Amino acid sequence: MSEDFEPKIVAFVCNWCTYLAADLAGTNRLEYPPNVRILRLPCTGRVDFNLIIKALEMGADAVVVSGCHPGDCHYTAGNYHARRRWILFRELLETMGIETNRIFFSWISAAESKKWQHMITEITDQIREMGPYTAYHEISEATA
Amino acid sequence: MSELIAQEALPGLVAKWLAQGKRVAGPSVVKPGYCLYVELKSSAQLALEGFIRPRNSIKEFVFPHHEAICRYHFSGHTVETEDCDPPQVDQVIVGARPCDAAALPILDHLFTWDYEDKFYTERRKATTVVTLACQAHDDACFCTSLDLGPAAEQGSDVLLLAVPGGYEVRCLTDKGRALFAGETRTVEQTAVVPPGPPVMVAPGTIMAFLQARYDDPMWADLALRCLGCGACAYTCPTCHCFDIVDEGTAAGGCRVKNWDCCQFAMFTQHASGHNPRSGQSQRQRQRIQHKFRIYPEKFGVMLCTGCGNCARNCPVGLGVLSTLKETAGSAPVEVGV
Amino acid sequence: MTGQLRERCRRLLQDGAVQVVIGYGVSTSDGMPHPIFVRRPDDVDKLIWNEQCMANLTTYLTRDAVKALGKPAIVVKGCDARALVVLEQECQIDRSAMHVIGMACAGVGSPRAPKCASCDVHVPAAADEVIGEAPAQTGPADPPYAELEEFLQKSPAERFAYWREEAARCIRCYACREVCPTCYCPRCIVDKNRPACLDTSATVKANFAWHVTRAFHQAGRCTGCGECTRVCPVGINMRLLNQSLARAADEHFGYRAGTNRETPPIIGAYGLEDKESFIR
Repeated sequence: MSEDFEPKIVAFVCNWCTYLAADLAGTNRLEYPPNVRILRLPCTGRVDFNLIIKALEMGADAVVVSGCHPGDCHYTAGNYHARRRWILFRELLETMGIETNRIFFSWISAAESKKWQHMITEITDQIREMGPYTAYHEISEATA
Repeated sequence: MSELIAQEALPGLVAKWLAQGKRVAGPSVVKPGYCLYVELKSSAQLALEGFIRPRNSIKEFVFPHHEAICRYHFSGHTVETEDCDPPQVDQVIVGARPCDAAALPILDHLFTWDYEDKFYTERRKATTVVTLACQAHDDACFCTSLDLGPAAEQGSDVLLLAVPGGYEVRCLTDKGRALFAGETRTVEQTAVVPPGPPVMVAPGTIMAFLQARYDDPMWADLALRCLGCGACAYTCPTCHCFDIVDEGTAAGGCRVKNWDCCQFAMFTQHASGHNPRSGQSQRQRQRIQHKFRIYPEKFGVMLCTGCGNCARNCPVGLGVLSTLKETAGSAPVEVGV
Repeated sequence: MTGQLRERCRRLLQDGAVQVVIGYGVSTSDGMPHPIFVRRPDDVDKLIWNEQCMANLTTYLTRDAVKALGKPAIVVKGCDARALVVLEQECQIDRSAMHVIGMACAGVGSPRAPKCASCDVHVPAAADEVIGEAPAQTGPADPPYAELEEFLQKSPAERFAYWREEAARCIRCYACREVCPTCYCPRCIVDKNRPACLDTSATVKANFAWHVTRAFHQAGRCTGCGECTRVCPVGINMRLLNQSLARAADEHFGYRAGTNRETPPIIGAYGLEDKESFIR
């Protein structure tokens, strides 16, 4: 893999927990790689699977979806709905041969800034090792 | 006396065209039971026997289902645009069916009558059509009802006819002659053109019928089983409707020209929400009226070559032919059948 | 069975029990059975039943033009009848406002449709009446996800390459969507354009997104009738995608769409105990 490859990671995060964890990480001056682009959504229940596909289409090398721990959803059950959806969605991606080891899910509460820091660091290293998601980028550029 | 190319020489010729950098398209069996016109990567992909006709049509090589016509990007409060040029690639369509080739002169009317659609005309100019006359037909074929036939020459640059051991080559245009120059030898035998399907409907009577019975209740009955998909139009050699869409992001994107189909409810949906063709019966009527009355009234040719793809690809067995049969003799229309 | 079916429908129409029979009739174009709508007792002789009755007629139940015809009797195979359960669960049909005629079926299509190998509904469940007998010796059914499991033997890269080829052929005619009984949205997500969610261009990228979307919107809802794959003009094997989601629903939640109307649909519900191993 080329030395200067910097992974593009898109993170869809819940407004009520992981977003605050990332905020707290900043306030606490916790360092982690700048490779992650954070998109704030009201809840993981709002993360339509099409957003994940869209991120890959637009050149992401990895996608992170992160929200509140089970039982902690601001809207009571959004994360439970999301969990069920991902269980099924991952199987579809497996069948289509989409690299599910580039799509990450996590529960990170507003207090867990360290978990956020560690996770993003780890994912960035892992994707840097794996290289860009060339297969998906290729289909995104093919016009026919 | 005729010109002949040996059976085994034809793949070699295809390979030669590929080696010259031409884009070559032809029928290919992509999976069992599915023969489609595809862009050939090698001559081995070409299939010339064992099927009635491919399930799609050659129109996609002159009128692709997706074409970028302009790119745009936003910078501040201005938009910069950049026109896309029509591609300049010499292409050969080999093994086209006569009903596919005949669609091209029909489409020429539409794409040149008031505005020349360069994306179409440039491609068309750079295309040589090598047609293979049909040896067989099925129940869906009705080319003879539209004054065509298994060896119709309309739209072809070269017509190949199967003879024992090879193909008789009839070059019809200079483009065709250039392609086969020096590749054939003169022989005594000439090909026998097999009979086409029987003539089943008379377009003249249909036109009169369509003029007289625009509001006939039969349309509602005929359309009941239509599901409103685009399988008929997208595999039709002559259907040519398209939609212009902008696809992109907040930074910019691309204006594209995509196939569209009159059977979709969205096709005529206005921004206000009003839809002048709100029901499937109106959409079915439009399809038939356009092909057999509106287009001929405007351009003097029927918008159909009798290939039968609409019937073969229809999920519920509803083709132009079955509809024409219903309308042909002004016979009493059976409920829902 | 055709004779019995015609007599039954004649009586239903004569008695005014139903206003229309949605059944199969021989098409003038290819001599194959295709959907017909019979509204007069005199026309029931157009109805037929044979091994070529492929279409899943339940897709018509949610269509306005068909609803306008009045109370329907509908002819279903066992596999088709499962869609009725899903439509009822999702409040799309009033099951009591229709008469369901189930046809005992040993399999359809020549060669046999792939779904028939693993069929376990030779006699339609939840029909108001069944015509014909359960086939005597059909042999043991194949395991339900055999085709998928074989496909999953390929490496992920091979699978991706396979779908890339399939997606490249897609012409976006949406026959798969229109023929599907559970694709009943008045406006499909791919037709939404203010803003557009999915590109309508038939590029590999957009076709990939379309097929992911089509399949996933059927998650826990697809009943495996296989119509999408049968009608695809370019032969895209959507059945594999549907199977992968059906298997996931089965394995993770013990749920099979269209088999039990009392069970809440898995999408739209959730469980506190849902198990997974991939969330950090």
